[in-house]
Amino acid sequence: MNTPVTQDLSLFYLISSASVFVQLVMLILLLASLFSWWYIFRKLFVIRNAIKQSDDFEDIFWRGADMNALYQRATSSRYTSGSMERIFVAGFGEFSKHPPGTDVDMVMDSTRRAMQATYQREMDRLETHLSFLATVGSVSPYIGLLGTVWGIMNSFRSLSNISQATIAHVAPGIAEALIATAMGLFAAIPAVIAYNRYVSDTEKLATRFESFMEELSNVLQRRASD
Amino acid sequence: MIAGQPDKAPSEEPRSALAGILALLVHIVFIALLVFGFNWKDRPPEGMIVELWQDLSQPVQPPVVKTTPPPPAQPKQQPKPAPEPKSEPKPEPTKAKPAPINVAPPPPKKPDIELKDKTEKPKPVQEAPKPDPEEQKKKEQEKAEAERLKREQEAQKQRELEAQKKRELEEQKKREQEEQKKREQEEQRKRELEAQQKREQEEKARLEAQQAAARAQIASEIGKYKAMILAKIKSRIVMPPDLPGNPVTEFNVTLLPGGDILDVRLRKSSGYPAFDSAVERAILLSKPLPLPPDPALFNEFRNLHVTVHYLE
Repeated sequence: MNTPVTQDLSLFYLISSASVFVQLVMLILLLASLFSWWYIFRKLFVIRNAIKQSDDFEDIFWRGADMNALYQRATSSRYTSGSMERIFVAGFGEFSKHPPGTDVDMVMDSTRRAMQATYQREMDRLETHLSFLATVGSVSPYIGLLGTVWGIMNSFRSLSNISQATIAHVAPGIAEALIATAMGLFAAIPAVIAYNRYVSDTEKLATRFESFMEELSNVLQRRASD
Repeated sequence: MIAGQPDKAPSEEPRSALAGILALLVHIVFIALLVFGFNWKDRPPEGMIVELWQDLSQPVQPPVVKTTPPPPAQPKQQPKPAPEPKSEPKPEPTKAKPAPINVAPPPPKKPDIELKDKTEKPKPVQEAPKPDPEEQKKKEQEKAEAERLKREQEAQKQRELEAQKKRELEEQKKREQEEQKKREQEEQRKRELEAQQKREQEEKARLEAQQAAARAQIASEIGKYKAMILAKIKSRIVMPPDLPGNPVTEFNVTLLPGGDILDVRLRKSSGYPAFDSAVERAILLSKPLPLPPDPALFNEFRNLHVTVHYLE
């Protein structure tokens, strides 16, 4: 503070010379940013994979493939199956468990319930960690701002001992405090963008799953009434 | 269904590791960008420092320039004139000394060779005449040889003397030439100094003329505006009638920039209060007084001395 002209204003110096509270805030923000980016990439892969698998399965299903063959294939390749395939497996499995003479409405009710349960589970799986992204996106700017306010408070408090205050006495403190805000924004902006993107993607997938469920239940009902 | 749940965890794990690596990469890239950005911001203050250094280096460089080139130049220049004067006086003792020294060795050397040659040559000559002329001839020959040697030595001495004279003459000529050069250089310097003095005097004269012209302009400007002020005041005076003689009243007027009147004081009464008060009223009525547009001239008008005669 006494030799501001020759002071090293590099990023690492500013971070290392910040107060402990500001450093703590920076650490929290760094972790939040790391985790949010980790989840961003994980969700990117998961959602992209889910869309691709749904496309493939719908393609095969509506091309008129045999349902029993599809069921066999899906149960055997359980580890690579997609969400829509699992919904089909749940519905068709429940449907085929009933003996041929059972009441069609009852069979369809239980089939729908099974598909609904799987659908809920799949949606839950797709939506995990999206709330984390939302939290990081909305809270990390405030955390960064808190660190900045705290750092600026400290830098102004140190001015009280100096009779002739210049901007050079305050500038390094403000600069190091503003790093916290920068980090908060860096964590928040991609998190918010990714959250919005992934929410819309999962909603699109959900409508696709729901429409598939309705169509599958129609197909199964026709098959049961035959 | 129940078996389907465990599928999800293994299917996500490899991708999550990749995602973690990608997240780390993003942060590393961002931090690198930040560091570079901060380094860029650090440079401007360095630039300021560089400017300061340039300021410092200018005084530093001239000494450097003086120390590096001048030392070679000055020493060279100084030695050159120094040796020359030294060579002028010294050559006499130094060259005079070497001359005899040089002179001394050659005569012995040459005689030695000649003696040897002649001693060797005479031998066959002596061998031939040995039976006939005997020792007299030998003596005569020796005498002749001695005379020859003496003559040669004398001739050599004369040549050396002549050479010395020539050298001395050349040195004298050189000295004269150098003295002439010095005189010419001094004359040139004197001429240059005179020319410089003339130029300086001319410049001074020009400056003085310019200053005088400027002063004259200012004076004329001041006089003009003072006349304008007086005329304006006089135009506002309502003269009291029938005063005897030609009374004179004097006022000190303090002006503000812009022509407003700050203060009017009676300096010297005319003896007729009616006339004095009429002039005072006129002065106060005639504000703003006309002032020159150049604010530098206002100091001439700050304290105006107004003198009004009853009769023009």
